[in-house]
Amino acid sequence: MSDDLDAIHVEDVKKYYGATKAVDGISFSVRQGEIFGMLGPNGAGKSTTIEMIEGLRAPDSGSITVLGMKQPQQKQAIKERIGIQLQTTALYPLLTVTEILDLFHTFYPNHATIPTDDLIRMVNLEEKRATRSKNLSGGQQQRLSVALALVNDPEIVFLDEPTTGMDPQARRQLWDVIRELRGRGKTILMTTHYMEEAQELCDRIAIVDHGKILEMDTPAALIRKFFQDVAIEFEDGITDVDAYKNLPGVINASIIDGKVTLHSNDVPQTMGALLSRERSGTANFRDLNVRNATLEDVFLKLTGRALRD
Amino acid sequence: MVISLYIAALKEYLRDRTTLFWTLAFPILFIVLFGLIFSQSGGSTYTVAVVNLDTGPTGQRIVQVFQSPDLAKVFKIKTGTTVTDENAFQDQLKNGKIDMVIVIPPGLSQNAQSGQTTSVQLYYDASKQPSGQIMVGTVQGVLTQINQEMTGKAPLLQAQTQSVNTTTLGAIDFLVPGILAMSLMQLGLFGTTLPIVSLRERKILRRLGATPLPRWALLTSQVLLRLTITLFQTALILGIGYYAFGVHIANPAQTAGIIVLGSLMFISLGYFLASIAKTQDAASGITQAVNFPMLFLSGIFFPLSDLPDFLNWIVRIIPLTYLADAMRQMMINSTPSFPITTDLAVIAGWTVVCGILAARLFSWE
Repeated sequence: MSDDLDAIHVEDVKKYYGATKAVDGISFSVRQGEIFGMLGPNGAGKSTTIEMIEGLRAPDSGSITVLGMKQPQQKQAIKERIGIQLQTTALYPLLTVTEILDLFHTFYPNHATIPTDDLIRMVNLEEKRATRSKNLSGGQQQRLSVALALVNDPEIVFLDEPTTGMDPQARRQLWDVIRELRGRGKTILMTTHYMEEAQELCDRIAIVDHGKILEMDTPAALIRKFFQDVAIEFEDGITDVDAYKNLPGVINASIIDGKVTLHSNDVPQTMGALLSRERSGTANFRDLNVRNATLEDVFLKLTGRALRD
Repeated sequence: MVISLYIAALKEYLRDRTTLFWTLAFPILFIVLFGLIFSQSGGSTYTVAVVNLDTGPTGQRIVQVFQSPDLAKVFKIKTGTTVTDENAFQDQLKNGKIDMVIVIPPGLSQNAQSGQTTSVQLYYDASKQPSGQIMVGTVQGVLTQINQEMTGKAPLLQAQTQSVNTTTLGAIDFLVPGILAMSLMQLGLFGTTLPIVSLRERKILRRLGATPLPRWALLTSQVLLRLTITLFQTALILGIGYYAFGVHIANPAQTAGIIVLGSLMFISLGYFLASIAKTQDAASGITQAVNFPMLFLSGIFFPLSDLPDFLNWIVRIIPLTYLADAMRQMMINSTPSFPITTDLAVIAGWTVVCGILAARLFSWE
């Protein structure tokens, strides 16, 4: 059950839209000062869950506690102490970065705020402070929207797919911002559908699909739990996964978009079998690659599909 | 909070060049078009040609009366004495250069002396209402006067006309209050509903809703913004009307009051519509559905008495009827269709009801 160190406590929360079970009984806790990631494909129920915790949507049933306060009953008081970055952030397109941040400062008359200049520095927008928001690049807009979530120096920061649509460089810049927030002792609840991002940033991860949490642990523990093994990847004309399942050492096999992934606990055995197939002419491998298992593999194993489907 | 939101929204507004252009252009186009159309007729005089083919004293007397200073306000008289003149005038009448040709037939004086009735011919374009009626009426008045002179009988009944208004009003004066009421409605409806729905569609409202910002603060700042824009545009319409077309404003202070109340009413109606419209398309549909019946059933373009009875109940519930009536009363001291207290009560009622509904139904997303 909930203890004093929990910044967020969610218990058996459900949200149905007609026959669609958007969130179907989710429970978890986020400890103070940790980065907790919800990982799942689009439509898995991540955003609905995070928005119920933020108080933007009301759950059909279940209980949500944020900083010891009940959601949605104490919605207004909670909003004072949390910072929200929404998935699609629309801002005043004709106002400048500074003007928008200054405006948001006035929304927290009863709460200490971080000065606009500091916020701009934190998200590296110094050169764009006088630029109108519609003239910012996608990554810069996203960083502005993170800055908006930090105006009231919140105890919990909610980031809903903060790096979606960013190029790799912009993504890494934002990761630095998020790490700095953890350095300041903030609790962060974020959603993402990038495995790499979850693996890089998050202390703990919940893998979500079809409105339920499938697994929840640290990234390393999740990988260990499912794979004491190595992944072998290649392309092949064969689309029947059963052709690989019975190879020696193979414990799991999948084919996504023509790409075969085998998990093996005995790489020499498996490789030997694959190579003999090649020699006998019954197979034709391309782009053969052997690597350690990642969260992507965990996800694939749990849901039977790739994350970005 | 309210002030900073208001300033932010105002900056957004002023930085959008297209919107700003129409904010200025719409009222200017409006008043200039209506002004040019309506200041031509009504207030101005008619050009009338009198062709006197009679050579006796009666014909001369008729021409003399038409040329009297009293009639000069209404009629600009041209005269002729031959059939050639008459043909030339008839051509000008067909070209629209003159409004009426009056032909005094030859032998009218002799006929009058022998007690015979003679017809004076009036030629005019009957399709041009109401100027035709005004001219015919005036000519009949002149002929009656001359009849009396000749028969020597004093009239037993005489109508003494006296304008209720102290100033002379042109057609534009009767139209401007209605036009103003109509523009308040359109500014309120289109200027409020569509931008609000757009704020919601662009999810700006949703972002604001994720902060502790109270709903009333956002609504208040938006109402202030709309009010500023509407009052500015109304001032533009009235200013141009006053300086360029000599529009009269009998009670400026009361008129200003009615304008503020009227815009508040339509802004609150606009918010109500914005809270039931989900998308931009739905919003334009709904605003048009409200706009059109109001335009035609509120007595702005034609008198309420001309409308069929079965539409009467609509006329009596739509707010524009009362706003236009109040505006006319304040601007030109017109005869009220309803007591001013009724007008004000209805306007206040609509404002409050729409305001409450908007506050209850308004959603951030």
